[in-house]
Amino acid sequence: MKSFRILFPVAAILLLLLLILPLANMIVSADPAILASTLADREVTRSILLTLRCALRATLAGLFLGVPLAYLLARWEFRGKSIVQGLVDLPVMIPHTAMGVALLMIYGRKFMLGGLFERLGISFVGTEAGISLAMAYVSMPFLVNAARDGFAGVDPRLEKVARTLGASPWQAFFLVTLPLCWRAILSGAIMMWARGISEFGAVVVLAYHPMVAPILIWERFQSYGLRYARPVAVLLILICLVFFAGLRWLAARSGREE
Amino acid sequence: MLRLEDIRLRLGRFRLAIDALHIGPGEYRVLLGPTGTGKTVLLETIAGLHTPDRGRILLHGREITTTVPEQRNLGVVYQEYALFPHLTVFDNIAFGLRMGGERGREMKKKVGAMADFLGISRLLARRPGNLSGGERQRVALARALVLRPHLLLLDEPLSALDHITRDRLRRELQRIHRQFGITILHITHDLDEAFFLADRMAVVRNGILLQEGTPEAISRQPATRFVAGLMGLKNFIPARVAAGGAIAVQDLGHLDPGLLASPPPYPMEDILLTFPSWTVELEPDPADHALWWQGTARIRDVRRNDSQVEVELARGRSITLHATLSRREAGRLSSMPGPGREVRIGIGREGLHWLPPGDE
Repeated sequence: MKSFRILFPVAAILLLLLLILPLANMIVSADPAILASTLADREVTRSILLTLRCALRATLAGLFLGVPLAYLLARWEFRGKSIVQGLVDLPVMIPHTAMGVALLMIYGRKFMLGGLFERLGISFVGTEAGISLAMAYVSMPFLVNAARDGFAGVDPRLEKVARTLGASPWQAFFLVTLPLCWRAILSGAIMMWARGISEFGAVVVLAYHPMVAPILIWERFQSYGLRYARPVAVLLILICLVFFAGLRWLAARSGREE
Repeated sequence: MLRLEDIRLRLGRFRLAIDALHIGPGEYRVLLGPTGTGKTVLLETIAGLHTPDRGRILLHGREITTTVPEQRNLGVVYQEYALFPHLTVFDNIAFGLRMGGERGREMKKKVGAMADFLGISRLLARRPGNLSGGERQRVALARALVLRPHLLLLDEPLSALDHITRDRLRRELQRIHRQFGITILHITHDLDEAFFLADRMAVVRNGILLQEGTPEAISRQPATRFVAGLMGLKNFIPARVAAGGAIAVQDLGHLDPGLLASPPPYPMEDILLTFPSWTVELEPDPADHALWWQGTARIRDVRRNDSQVEVELARGRSITLHATLSRREAGRLSSMPGPGREVRIGIGREGLHWLPPGDE
């Protein structure tokens, strides 16, 4: 009993230290003067803004397409459900560079969908649309799974009662289900956005340029070394931390008010 | 009022097969059956939450088989109440009125009147999470009743409550039924609840309707051993019917077929004789003509609760008899019965009934 009470917290603290140490070390050892000059570097700010914007677009697309899928996975029983669930998790399992190659072979100018979109004036190779697409593919599981768990946590009888009280399926969804699980969906969206921002593998294959922050860090590291890559990395981490902490705080505050 | 005809529904491995069910206007109908027997599916099918594969549902003579739930105006109250946790009690009760387009003073008046009727006016600003089980149940009833539904469907509404609150709410349901004159379909596995509330009862098992009637009639003449068991009968003695109709009861001897309300049809040979445990007397008056059989049995077990003494007896090699005595009756015995003791017993003529064999 005593060993249980000691070993578990020790393991947990160890893991937390392993997680925090590299980030904390990088932030603490950053020179404020260099950070300030990095912030003034237009290439860096443009790249960070591009990253945030593309990840946001990917997340919005994820909300539009992923939330309905999450709802079906939580509520419906159908043959092949476990296969669908496996498909949702697939991007987490396979190497993201391989995913990038796979996307290129579908959305590339000479390939199936790529050709079709090209005629509509949308190109995915070397464009912001391509960056968002790659981000969406690899980060979608975080949103779908979080939303699915959120929906599963809402008693289906609440929707049933709403229907018997005169609500249409849409009204039952928007007036009962969504208000009860929006925090889970928001949490999934934050995760998806974060995962999109950090994506390198799939983006580098589909759209090396315009350069998102993870690719910029990589390029500076390759061309100039650690000294030049570090400030960009620190800046990206700090911006992400501020955003995510802010969003989570807002979500938690709304939860308490309810 | 509500009529179900030849309903068939398959949900995964479960099958619902109701040949006919008719609930009259203003009736309090209880659907009795063990847990997991398809009662909720039947209720949800009536509410429109499942569409039957076959058959018809008629409400006031109008077919509603494929009508969407929001257009049926049937109130549903679930066991765990299913109150909207993010809304106040007021907004929970007003939900259906708002869906119907009601707003303003008229809506507030209706919510207030219903809250007054159910004694929950002081709770209107609170959230369901801060209410007791009984209060939640009242809110769920108010939410359904405020729409004046054609039919109130109650799914084990009292099962999650402590016995004091349950007793109080039983009377509340009776009051609602009388005052509103509303038709109620109440599903439960609790026999006491069924006896207390039901005008008529229907017994359900594995999605099939086994028997309908008043609680008294089903209790006196259950159709199968399963129904008899559900109605609280515990005495089941194998018997054989001879060609002339004479009945030989295992280890108890002959039974005059005239003592049964309806004798078993010939050529049914093997039957089960059943009788309520309150008709089994310990140390009876030997001259008591109300008994059809007297003899001895060995006491196997004695269980006491606050009002009754239940005695399990063994007769012969394989016969188990159950006797239920009031504490007063048990007190009148020459000595309190204990396990292992041989005791004289009698079985009354009242409540004797035969059943086809099998169907545990």
